[in-house]
Amino acid sequence: MADRKAELERKKLRLQQIREEKKRKEEEKKKKEQEIAAKAAPAGGSSESELEKKRKDAEDLLRDLGVPDTVTPSATTAVKTTPGDVKSQDSKGEALPVPSASPHRRAKLCMSSVNISGFPPKESISYSKETQTPTETQEQQAEDEDVLAESPEEDTPAVPEQEPEVKEEPSEPVIKEYTEDEKERIIHSEEFVRFLDRTTKVIERAIAEDVDIFIDYGGNAEDDGEGERDAGAKLSQNRQFLDDRWSRYRTVTCLDWSKQHPELLVASYSNNEESPHEPDGVALVWNTKFKKTSPEYIFHCQSSVMSAGFADFHPNLVVGGTYSGQIVLWDNRSTKRTPVQRTPLSAAAHTHPVYCVKVVGTQNAHNLISISTDGTMCSWSLDMLSQPQDSMQLKHKQSKPVAVTCMTFPHNDVNNFVVGSEDGSVYTASRHGSKAGINEAFEAHQGPVTGIDCHQVQGRLDFSHLFLSSSFDWTIKLWSLKHSTPIHSFEDNSDYVYDVQWSPVHPALFATVDGMGRLDLWNLNEDTEVPTTSATLDGQTAINRLRWNHSGHQIAVGDDEGKVWIYDVGESLAQPRGDEWNRLAHTLTDIKFNSTKDTEEGVTR
Amino acid sequence: MSNEVEEILKRVQQMKGVIGTIVVSQEGIPIKTTLDNSTTVQYAGLIHQLTAKARSTVRDLDPQNDLTFLRIRSKKHEIMVAPEKEYLLIVVQNPSDGN
Repeated sequence: MADRKAELERKKLRLQQIREEKKRKEEEKKKKEQEIAAKAAPAGGSSESELEKKRKDAEDLLRDLGVPDTVTPSATTAVKTTPGDVKSQDSKGEALPVPSASPHRRAKLCMSSVNISGFPPKESISYSKETQTPTETQEQQAEDEDVLAESPEEDTPAVPEQEPEVKEEPSEPVIKEYTEDEKERIIHSEEFVRFLDRTTKVIERAIAEDVDIFIDYGGNAEDDGEGERDAGAKLSQNRQFLDDRWSRYRTVTCLDWSKQHPELLVASYSNNEESPHEPDGVALVWNTKFKKTSPEYIFHCQSSVMSAGFADFHPNLVVGGTYSGQIVLWDNRSTKRTPVQRTPLSAAAHTHPVYCVKVVGTQNAHNLISISTDGTMCSWSLDMLSQPQDSMQLKHKQSKPVAVTCMTFPHNDVNNFVVGSEDGSVYTASRHGSKAGINEAFEAHQGPVTGIDCHQVQGRLDFSHLFLSSSFDWTIKLWSLKHSTPIHSFEDNSDYVYDVQWSPVHPALFATVDGMGRLDLWNLNEDTEVPTTSATLDGQTAINRLRWNHSGHQIAVGDDEGKVWIYDVGESLAQPRGDEWNRLAHTLTDIKFNSTKDTEEGVTR
Repeated sequence: MSNEVEEILKRVQQMKGVIGTIVVSQEGIPIKTTLDNSTTVQYAGLIHQLTAKARSTVRDLDPQNDLTFLRIRSKKHEIMVAPEKEYLLIVVQNPSDGN
């Protein structure tokens, strides 16, 4: 609008200039004429010739019709010097704001009046109002047409719209029609019937398929569709997370799902030997809710991150345990990617790689527990990482330090915990009380223990004494805290088993990953010898870590090339039926019975 | 055979949401219709042209490919076209009625 106004304003100015120029020329012409006339009059005496008189009459007539002599002030001042009769004529011309109609102009007007058709009258009115000049409106229009040659185009947008309608009509008369006989002949032809048979089937299917393809559940329609499709499958790959710069060629060292935001997953990565200039330690927060492929947050630090997790009661904090022994704390409110807090490297804290960090306790009383491979266990307050609240050496039989690789707390227990070690043993330990430190040893694994997890699902029966451990010896062992020998050993893998975790919702279900890229799901109530279902990563890259989503319907696995894969667990597999707890109790007694029978047989043989 | 044709068309016509069924020849001339004459002529002419264009598009993209089905979803209707060599079957339905 403003542009248009400005444009009009500009054109107006130009118009005015042109007009003034014309006027001036006209004026000069007239003046000359009048001067000649004035000279002639005195010369010819008071009696004017007939011809002169006639001419003047004609001029008067013309003037009455609207031939202005002068309009502009400059013109009038110029005229003032001229004889009186001219001046009176002049004032007459001023008094009558009628259009000019000199012979030359009139021809112009006639020509342009054809063009005027497209020019909105509204336009001209507003124009004259704006200028506030008493000049001839008609001349204005005529000149506008000349000067504003392009304006009619933008002023008449309605004209072309009407045209297309006309185009369609010619096609109609062309249409022929079959006679009734012809129609009958076609309808009776075999070809026609076959055609109709085929096509109606397709059409019927199309009509019967009453899926509303335009359904919109608030923008997440695509996700819902995928969920439905995968419901039948037992274990299906959903998506993959990889960041070219931050995660490629780094081993996934730890995974953890957020409790506050179930769609968020933090993955920690080791160093990338290919790019020594990048920070060694990386932790990426991925979002499974959205389709975007970049991480939600990128955190890094100077040393490889060996363990990471969300600080359960602080939704903004991510904790990392590093290879150097430092515990680092990242905050997603901070704009920095580097830690907002870190523990010192001192004898009071860790000086060896920290393979386990976990926040335990309740909203009001919780601690960060960390254990390094030299057997040092520290508990920290997240508010103060400058020194540990408590520190303890985990030593077996008061002498041998335990090289802890993994840790787990039984459900609702903040004092007792279970650790797996590099020597292949599993130890129970306590943080406080008279028996603080390592209590019992569970020796069965032949290689370093890589993963350990206590049974977490609460139900009618309490299985919190159960725990699983995975090891380099290709086995997964099921234990009870009550017995120092394993209940069962799962020996279906033919490579290092890198991690194990119970389902957070199904009492008899757990997942394992191994060095051949296999993700196995075991349902103890179905089979204890072979996994219920398994999936293999493309390329068979070793899977280092696995973590169940809190819903129990998704598993995140991290491989040794920096990729995190999300697997969907089928509804039938993930969701426990009511009797699973009783069936698990049965399964356990069956296993025990069989194992005692086996050992008896072994003895008798 | 005529009965069979009538029966098939009737079956289609009676399906939920179906507004009209038209069978058109290759030249775009209506053979069978359940709609009134002017509507039929209009549909036959326009859909025939559109189908020809769609078919040529598919074939231009891949000469070994061919158009098998055409669905036009509009605010008011859905037009389904099953094109074959000699004839076209056009069914106009109201998708919101069908659901």
